[in-house]
Amino acid sequence: MMARTSTLGRFLRHPMGLAGLAILLVAVAMAATANIFFPDGPWKMAGRPILWPGQNPDFPLGTDMMGRDLLAGLLYGARVSLLVGLAAAVASIVAGTVIGAIAGYYPGWIDDALMRFTDAVQTIPSFLAAVVIVGVIGPSVTTVVLSIAVTSWPMIARLVRAEFLRLRKYDFVHACRIMGMSDARIMLTQILPNCLSPIIVASSVLVATAIIVESGLSFLGLGDPNVISWGAIIGAGRSALRVAWYITMLPSVAIVLTVLSLNLIGDALNDVLNPRLRQR
Amino acid sequence: MTKNLPLTRRNLLKGVVAASALPMILNAPYAQAQAAKRGGTLTIVSWPAPTYLNSGITTSGPETLLGGKMFDGLVDYDIGYVPAPALAESWDISEDGLTITFHLRAGVKWHDGEPFTSEDVAFTIMEILKVHHGRGRSTFANVTEVRTPDELTATLVLSAPAPALMKALNASESPMMPAHIYAGADIMENPANTAPIGTGAYRLAEYNRGESIVMEANPDYWDEGKPHIDKLVVRYVADGSTRAAMLETGEADLIASSLIPPIEILRLGAMPEFEVTQRGYEVSSSMHLMDFNLRHEILGNKLVRQAFAHFIDRDWITQNIWFGFGQTATGPMPPAQGDLYTAEGVPAYPYDLERAEALLDEAGYPRGDNGIRFSLFIDPLPYGEEPLRASEYIKQQAAEVGIELAIRTADMGGFVKRIYGDQDFDISTFTGSAGIDPTIGVHRFYWSKNIRPGVSFSNGSGYSNPEVDALLEQATVEIDPEKRAELYHTFQRLVMEDVPTLPLTATERVTIARIAVKDHTPRAIGPFGTLADVWLDR
Amino acid sequence: MADAAVPRPAADRLRPALRFLGRRLLQALIVMLLVVLLNFSVLQLAPGDMISVLSGSSDMTAEQMVSLRAQYGLDQPWLARLGIYLFNLAQFDLGYSFRNAAPVATVIAERFPTTLILVVASVIVSLTVGTLMGVVAARRAGSLADLVLLAVALVFYATPSFVIAIVLILTFGVTLGWLPIGGLVTVGAGLTGWAWLADLVAHLILPVIALCTFYVAIYARLARASMLEVSSLDYVRTARAKGVPEWRVVYVHALRNALLPLVTMAGLQVSSLIGGAILVETVFGLPGMGRTAYDAIFERDTNLLLGVMFVSALCVVLVSLVVDLLYVLLDPRVSLE
Repeated sequence: MMARTSTLGRFLRHPMGLAGLAILLVAVAMAATANIFFPDGPWKMAGRPILWPGQNPDFPLGTDMMGRDLLAGLLYGARVSLLVGLAAAVASIVAGTVIGAIAGYYPGWIDDALMRFTDAVQTIPSFLAAVVIVGVIGPSVTTVVLSIAVTSWPMIARLVRAEFLRLRKYDFVHACRIMGMSDARIMLTQILPNCLSPIIVASSVLVATAIIVESGLSFLGLGDPNVISWGAIIGAGRSALRVAWYITMLPSVAIVLTVLSLNLIGDALNDVLNPRLRQR
Repeated sequence: MTKNLPLTRRNLLKGVVAASALPMILNAPYAQAQAAKRGGTLTIVSWPAPTYLNSGITTSGPETLLGGKMFDGLVDYDIGYVPAPALAESWDISEDGLTITFHLRAGVKWHDGEPFTSEDVAFTIMEILKVHHGRGRSTFANVTEVRTPDELTATLVLSAPAPALMKALNASESPMMPAHIYAGADIMENPANTAPIGTGAYRLAEYNRGESIVMEANPDYWDEGKPHIDKLVVRYVADGSTRAAMLETGEADLIASSLIPPIEILRLGAMPEFEVTQRGYEVSSSMHLMDFNLRHEILGNKLVRQAFAHFIDRDWITQNIWFGFGQTATGPMPPAQGDLYTAEGVPAYPYDLERAEALLDEAGYPRGDNGIRFSLFIDPLPYGEEPLRASEYIKQQAAEVGIELAIRTADMGGFVKRIYGDQDFDISTFTGSAGIDPTIGVHRFYWSKNIRPGVSFSNGSGYSNPEVDALLEQATVEIDPEKRAELYHTFQRLVMEDVPTLPLTATERVTIARIAVKDHTPRAIGPFGTLADVWLDR
Repeated sequence: MADAAVPRPAADRLRPALRFLGRRLLQALIVMLLVVLLNFSVLQLAPGDMISVLSGSSDMTAEQMVSLRAQYGLDQPWLARLGIYLFNLAQFDLGYSFRNAAPVATVIAERFPTTLILVVASVIVSLTVGTLMGVVAARRAGSLADLVLLAVALVFYATPSFVIAIVLILTFGVTLGWLPIGGLVTVGAGLTGWAWLADLVAHLILPVIALCTFYVAIYARLARASMLEVSSLDYVRTARAKGVPEWRVVYVHALRNALLPLVTMAGLQVSSLIGGAILVETVFGLPGMGRTAYDAIFERDTNLLLGVMFVSALCVVLVSLVVDLLYVLLDPRVSLE
């Protein structure tokens, strides 16, 4: 308990981390309040097309080419972007941890086989792989999440494997084995808790990357057509860039700020969780 | 477009596009009295890139754009689609319509120096167009033989009259190809398919597959003094907004077939450096249509389909999705089909949400506790942005009357398989070329004998009405124009009563070019034609 | 450090190097086989085939579709097609791209240079600019300059490449008119020699910047962290104490070792650049591997897509081999076992 409080305490004294957290909370608040402010959803063609921000007080951020409220689009877009980012990160952490843990705990042919498989996946350029998967299965939130997870788990797997390789030689692991604890239990209850900090640090980067990849897919027209994401607004507004640049720029700024905040949080977590690096 | 000023858009773009400039783009000045200047390079940007460099063996769009540049047709078409001499200087059609004799131009040479003769005509029609060209198979279906009494005479012998044939002999639709290059070898595998030898105004100079094609003026072109420019470059760029930017910066001179976002056409067209024209596309008017899968229990109900027609504001789609580049559809045929088209007595389904709700109630689909009547999928055609935007609008409108629509996107392979292969869809939207005659572009969607699983853009709704079938079959053989028009008028009324397919917009395509580009569309077919007359005023 | 100080006989270092290379090559072979199997299996999930796509854009009868499927072997079961594909691949035959009416190898040979130029230029530019930014920031750690550079790196990191591309086109292409925006060269201009090179460079500037920014940020951060870490090490302190000029300390002694994590990153960057090139090649109308792969998916040009993915993976494998070897060169402490 003590250790956790002090970790939290250290994070709260980290100015950059706090700034990141504040920005991220704004994005979360946007996502959470979308249906309170806009119960009719983001697709409603509520006003005149291409209203500039400030031109009409009813639409503070203006409307897009089809007269849809951009503020509603940004709020609902926050939902999709954050949801996709989080879900893809969770999926790749789960997959990467399982594969990395098994590979690290069972050196020899299991490790070899899993690592060659990891190599193979990492060898295929990841955005290309994501485009192929979404293109082939068809765009939906699920396939977008899947495509990102499929291409980003190897990084976690390598990280977890390295930790497992290191920790499995420790005395406490030997002790557990002698006590007759099952492999699965040792991995889950003894080793895993000890390699959580690098995973936590990596997860903020994963979410950030996933948000960028999702926006790239949507920009290419490979997003879920039934939900509005920031990337999709950029993709659709791009043809009107010269006439109404704000349609493209507003969601771009939202993406940049969110990814930036996740990075600040990641850096702060790194400082807080790995104090030895800081001291050196 | 000249008649239907995009009024909403004009208001909308005020401040961005000077409203007073719009009439200029609508009535682009055309008759050029100036003498053509020589020299220069004309650059066209387009997308996608072609597979082959001739349009005799495929009907794909990219090949059609190139077809007329390096090849010629027997005839060309003047405004109003009147045949004009090209490789054939004149022609005679027998009274019974069973023989057509072409008198060929003397002294025409292929790019490799060989003379062009009647042998080439016979070989092209019998061995290439009739066999490998998608539409050529039906255009020349009745041609049993091409006689070549001498080098400059080619006589087509027909088993039955084929009035459509004389409308399909231009360079991009039926290019004349060299027998001495193609005879005796597999036509599809011939290296000349990507290193063409034609009689056309331009010769291939450089081919960078998937990237660009450079053509140079053919110094031996039969139409003396043409072409006026030195080089014709076609570049392939995937992104519409980049294509527009290239036109704006001068990296490109001309974009055909509305290949940039409509809002950019309006913006650039209002600038004095550019000129927009809808001329040159009379053969290729298209309809944006919405197919209901009649095999579906709910959509099999006519009242439900009529409700769709009422809650979709088609004018809104025309103005806001196509930015006024088109006319709101009134029936299965576009107004471009002239006397055959009518809106008279055709059920119109004005925009009326209450009427739509009443029809849905009457059909036996009341709103449920959650306000929803039923849920369906809508599959937009994966071609350009407009079909997706239109389906986003339709989805939102459907929600207003208690219908939940979910949009499914797929690529062309997935779309074709789902809609026409598996027929596993509820509603699809697509754009179909209506053709110069309804027999080519309209019958296929409504004729019950064209319910053909696996065949793209056939009768996808599965519509089968014996009365409609009879009308269409009569219209195919009816020679009397008035009787024929009457048949089509009845057809339009019947089909709009049943609405197996809801026509949304008769779309119009335009060419946008720098004003320095002159005479790109002197005849019926614009940049898709030969471009032999084009010149640069620089 | 002690290890490195003792020079070992050349033969002693060569033997493990060869064994290492052999093992890595075998691993690479297995990885490439897995890549082909993965790609091939995923593509089987695609609905419809090349013929359905073709029939969507040109008129075709049902009979014609059947005969074309037979001609292209698309009516075979997928295991049979996989067998044929592997058999041909073993003879370095990547098959035929029907969409391009040319062998896959020819198409790739035409598209590869574009992507190669883009990727190489991006790696060089981002490595140079990023490292410089990082070194400058590290030397003034905590100063305003450091803060500004860090902030710039953060924004670069967070901005998607396509957004940067759009802004660049609008600013430098359209508004200022300084640089061309489409393609790799001025088509049909017939330029040669220096004029051609200048034209090429002009066309490259904007896409390379768009592709670079993300990595400039990464290298800047890596270089800064790495420099801070290395600067406090004994040998750097010793160098300073011995009176070695400061620029030499920074750019020769410290940087050489700080480069190691950057080299690893550069290896990873190549893989991600090939993927990221899809967006940049799309926006700038460049005929490269990325856009080719993208189009091949939607045209169901399976042979071409498999070919592009195979060649990309091959490049990545080769680059990672080179990176491993570079590691050995830069840091004699690295064991080859």
